[in-house]
Amino acid sequence: MTVWRYLAARNVGGAEGLAFDEALMAGHGRGQQAAPVLRLYTYASHVALCGRYQHIEAELNIDACRRTGTEIGRRPTGGGAIVMGVGQLGVAVVTNAPTTMRPKDLLEQFSLGIVCGLAKLGIDARFSGKNDLKVDGRKIAGLGLYLDGTGALLFHSSILADLDIPFMLEVLDVPAAKLGAAGPAAVAERITTVSRETREPCTGDTIRDAVALGFCEALAIELAESTPTDTEVRDAADLVTGKYATDEWRFQRSPQADANSSSMVKTPGGLVRVYVALQGDTIKSAMFTGDFNEMPAPLAEYESALKWARADPDALTALARRSCGHDTGLGVPPEQLADAVWQAAAQAMEHGVAAPLIEGSCYFPESGEVVPGEVSA
Amino acid sequence: MSDEHNVRGFKVRLDRAYHLDFHLWVQSSEGDSVRIGMDPLGLETSGTLSQLEFAAVGTIVARGEPFGTLEAEKFVGPIRSPLSGMIVASNAEAMASPGICERDPYGEGWFVELTPFDFDGERDQLTEGTVTLVAAFAAKVDDYRRQGVLAE
Repeated sequence: MTVWRYLAARNVGGAEGLAFDEALMAGHGRGQQAAPVLRLYTYASHVALCGRYQHIEAELNIDACRRTGTEIGRRPTGGGAIVMGVGQLGVAVVTNAPTTMRPKDLLEQFSLGIVCGLAKLGIDARFSGKNDLKVDGRKIAGLGLYLDGTGALLFHSSILADLDIPFMLEVLDVPAAKLGAAGPAAVAERITTVSRETREPCTGDTIRDAVALGFCEALAIELAESTPTDTEVRDAADLVTGKYATDEWRFQRSPQADANSSSMVKTPGGLVRVYVALQGDTIKSAMFTGDFNEMPAPLAEYESALKWARADPDALTALARRSCGHDTGLGVPPEQLADAVWQAAAQAMEHGVAAPLIEGSCYFPESGEVVPGEVSA
Repeated sequence: MSDEHNVRGFKVRLDRAYHLDFHLWVQSSEGDSVRIGMDPLGLETSGTLSQLEFAAVGTIVARGEPFGTLEAEKFVGPIRSPLSGMIVASNAEAMASPGICERDPYGEGWFVELTPFDFDGERDQLTEGTVTLVAAFAAKVDDYRRQGVLAE
């Protein structure tokens, strides 16, 4: 049975946590023989981390981060902005990148350890979409992968043991943050936590052992408890000062412009609104809202599939058909939904960097009022 | 197009050389430089490209070292150079809208231009010539399908 190195840590700083994961990669890559590493850790509350190429100013509420003492950081892995703290368990796997597997397959493979760990807590989580683990359609963990030039691999995940949703909406500039009082409910409809599923208050620390056991069983490995070497500690310290704590890394800008917009679809049940946020020609997030008690499952599926999809009318239509089949659950065909998404995306791209959305009521304007960046489908 | 072959469902331009492990094509450009872009098999196996970042003009790279980074479906990874040389141009449009690499991988979706230090010496690492290229590309696709990297 393969033996992996196992490291556990608590209350680490944002830059320190990311730097240590990268420092672990030094012993891996083409021609290197170091044992794979599993690191399970929690960040000191709180750290807001955006993805490798996101614009921090577009993803985080910088003022709120400063006001609440929330550290700001940038991951080497892709994906969207997240909040980490004692309520979330950070997972890092470091090993050699196999040449015969697609990134998506690697994500799925390593996610099996988390799925198995959550199963030990009585939670039936499944790999969903491009890179999420979900429970009954609600995200419980995000996944990311970073391969460096030497062939070393870093798998990252954040498991939501618990989540302070109002706080998250305060520091992350996500679409739901603009929904005002309706924001927490919109998030709760899309996200779940171990606490919610088990009806027991949980933290990253309390679920750590279950996740470690899950990795052992799912990947048929043994874990050997370990401590950081002097070299790793030194390398990590250098990476903190030279990379992760620098403004050059944290506030770097991608060549792609951020933009957002919205559009509406008339359905037999009322108006449905779609909000899209783009970076370049990629949809980084989409959200449907409307006058429904529970979002129809096909619509939720489409919303999830839109994340990181190309903003292209044919691609959006194909995605809508694949996600919804013939029934969107709204009484309109999938093509009409796709058209609404495309109209919002096209308008956002036309704007380039979109005008800031109006706070508060912009998502629920008075009847007949048109908000900036909104079109009707 | 006469210089394009359909190989196991992938369009392969025959007017250029390929590094089939890095999934990059290399085409002689103006002067001493070559133009480099990603082949359709690389695009298929990476998934939707959401970000591209290339080394600055003037950067010197060794063969096998990264000249850029890509993000595709939440995976961030290196784009490794098929040749040693100096970056002399990068495609700002591709960085701003990576979708053009999927729409036109052999044309507007190019990545960088590089002046090779030893093109003749390193050329044997590339695959070119109609018969050799088509056979090698087909073998790569078959290999990926056997491994499950590509759908049947």
